Amino acid sequence: MEAKNAAERARIEQEAADKQKREQEEARKKLEEEERMRADADAEAKRKATSSTPAAKLDQFFNAVASSSNPTSANSSITEALSLFQSAQTPVLIVISEEGGMKDYDKPTTIQEYLNYLKDQKKNLNTITDLKFDGAGKITEVELTRKK
Amino acid sequence: MFRSKYFLGLLFVGLVATTLSAQTADISPQRKQAIDSLALEKVRDLSKYISIIGNKKTPYSEATRVMDRAEELFIPGSEMGVSSVTSKEVNYYKIRKYFERLMALNYDRVNIKWYDIHYISDLERQPDGRYVGVVTIYQRFEGESDDGLKYKDTTKKDITIYVERKKTQIAGRTIEFWDVLLGDIRVTETSA
Repeated sequence: MEAKNAAERARIEQEAADKQKREQEEARKKLEEEERMRADADAEAKRKATSSTPAAKLDQFFNAVASSSNPTSANSSITEALSLFQSAQTPVLIVISEEGGMKDYDKPTTIQEYLNYLKDQKKNLNTITDLKFDGAGKITEVELTRKK
Repeated sequence: MFRSKYFLGLLFVGLVATTLSAQTADISPQRKQAIDSLALEKVRDLSKYISIIGNKKTPYSEATRVMDRAEELFIPGSEMGVSSVTSKEVNYYKIRKYFERLMALNYDRVNIKWYDIHYISDLERQPDGRYVGVVTIYQRFEGESDDGLKYKDTTKKDITIYVERKKTQIAGRTIEFWDVLLGDIRVTETSA
């Protein structure tokens, strides 16, 4: 009888221990899931913030124009891109080399000509390294640097 | 007194001229490589423009715009050599005239591709401060008509390239830049 009671007690204790272990595991998984969701939300917020900067927006337009499958689509992207600028004649400077603080430039062009260049050549060889703005938030000068 | 002033004036002019030419003479290997790459990229740009101009699907207005851009790559007065497998003759046309003839070719489909673009003579500094070099290209031309007319050839052409240091004003400040200009394009080989 006593042995039977002891076995029963041991079984109950084991079940309680198993239950506690399961609950701890569930709590740990829940915490991990919450942390993962927080990290994803942070990354998404960061991505949105980065892609909404003027340089990021402009770079997206450059890539859109260069990768357009037809002139109509490219021209549409060009028209949208030009709305970011003070004028279609906004100067574009392209750095081909920089050494000891001295920059070597390609022949300066205008943003309209550069966008058409991207449409014709279907290649975007440069990174945006500097933008200047007027008081209305329109871009007044672009500096690009040749990608290595 | 006058002679010494005259001599000093000459000496000053000489020093200034030397300084300006020295600005393009003292180029590090890294800067030189960037200029070499820039010039080669202009040749690749030209090949794409020629492909667009010759493509029968290119709208007239686009082709005209592209001809304007392509013409700006050249020194005024430059000429393009044109050959044929059916003739030993090589004809030379002013660049704009070449583009107009290219656009007017009597085929329904035209495909022009440049490949194996490389220097055969490196850009070298000349006494006048300009850099001059020669790039060679292979051009594959294919023309086809709906009535069955076909023409294909491969041509090897040499392009003289000039690179010069120039200045311009941007937003009230002086910007110095490397101006790459193409010269004559001469045919050296033609094959079927």
